[in-house]
Amino acid sequence: MFLHYKFVLILRALWFLAQIALFGLIVNRMVKEEVQVVTGGNYFYFYAAGIVVTLLYSMTVFIGYDIYEEADHGVTEYLLSLPVSRRELVLGRAIGGGLRSFLYVAPLMFVVLLLIGITDPFRILIALTALFLFAFGVAGMSITLAMSIKSHDRFDILLGVLNAFIVRLSTTMYPVAFMPPQYAAMAQFNPLTFAADIFRWGAGLEAVLLTSPFVSVFGIVVFFSVFTFLGIVFYEKRLEGGGWR
Amino acid sequence: MISMNLADLIVMAVVYTNMISPTVAGKYLSYFLFFSPGITITALFAAAFMIGREINREFRRSLSHYLLSLPFSRRELAFGRVLSGGVRGMVYMAPLLATTTFVTWFFTEKLPSPLEMLLVVFALFLVSIGTSGLSITIALSTKSFEKFVTARGVIYYVLFFCSSVFYPLDFIRQLGRDGTLPQPLVFIAEINPLSSGADITRSFLLGYPSFSPLMLLNVALFAAIFVLTATFAYLKIVQE
Repeated sequence: MFLHYKFVLILRALWFLAQIALFGLIVNRMVKEEVQVVTGGNYFYFYAAGIVVTLLYSMTVFIGYDIYEEADHGVTEYLLSLPVSRRELVLGRAIGGGLRSFLYVAPLMFVVLLLIGITDPFRILIALTALFLFAFGVAGMSITLAMSIKSHDRFDILLGVLNAFIVRLSTTMYPVAFMPPQYAAMAQFNPLTFAADIFRWGAGLEAVLLTSPFVSVFGIVVFFSVFTFLGIVFYEKRLEGGGWR
Repeated sequence: MISMNLADLIVMAVVYTNMISPTVAGKYLSYFLFFSPGITITALFAAAFMIGREINREFRRSLSHYLLSLPFSRRELAFGRVLSGGVRGMVYMAPLLATTTFVTWFFTEKLPSPLEMLLVVFALFLVSIGTSGLSITIALSTKSFEKFVTARGVIYYVLFFCSSVFYPLDFIRQLGRDGTLPQPLVFIAEINPLSSGADITRSFLLGYPSFSPLMLLNVALFAAIFVLTATFAYLKIVQE
């Protein structure tokens, strides 16, 4: 199951390398001087840290596709026969999905941390724990969407639209100072902004944070709690009477 | 894909316009106007590139046997697959080209003549059919799905990010002269059909860079090479 999406992993790793080694480096030379100032002197580091969070997000949402595949292949019936409650099953799926993507992204995360330079291991530990929770939250969100939409195609379209806008309307790629006010307002409440901020804080890029580390951690915990709870409710509801079929 | 391209245009391009130095994007009036034709090309490229994945799957699952039973020659089948990938790219790109034309007209009051528009569409068709051929060639070069995905990913991202879609070609050359960007990457960006396609579109919609027949020759060569390679590779695989 861990290497189930290895082709996605390969593609994402290549995408990450191209984003960092080509797009990140070139755009770093194209931006205005004030962008470098706002991003703490180096837009490239700011961008690299944001791309890691984007990658973690896009890898984690794949758990939703697993739900459809399980329903198609009759695995859901097997899972229901296991001696665990439905609540434990959903929680396990969210944790499993989050953990899997976290392990996928961890090597690239460490590459970026080495690139930026590790200044405070304790901070990194806090940031990684928060990102761990963020990944659980994203997995919960994906499960919630998969459980509330019966059609696989509709789920695919919705996830595509959500991914396109949630990533771009966050501070993963650019600082909020250069966003139009409407976009900036949305970015402030975006879980990807919280995750990017806490990762940048952990990597020692404090100058660029939109929110304080406490607010970021709080935002991630709320995101994780809401979607894990919703995931459990929807999953339980859907399993009643074979609603997944 | 549509949502991604729209998000690129209405969010990413808008934010980067506020961030990119006027010395880089000034010739194009703004980064937003520079990037709009680029989005058209990315849409076309992504849509035309999809055919490779389908053909690789067809061969792995032996669906090609069914296609061989259809009442047309193998050559027609092979060329038809390449053409269909190219047409898909064009169909998908069309609304984005219309949006880009509207956007550039709205900000610059420049509208290409029907002949110029025809040339843009023709150049984009060559890019599209060439991309379809390239994708099919990669798909048929290996039966291993992992190797195919890796090769496809490397070529896709190199062509995508090492082009003038996101950054002006002049700027890439300047980075090459400064030693910031390795010369082989500058060379790839220069001969990249996506660069030529994007710059042909820009030259008629924005007036910069100025159109050069070499741009058209580049996309024509790309299309000719990969349409032929993909057609012969398809024929060879089918005969096996």
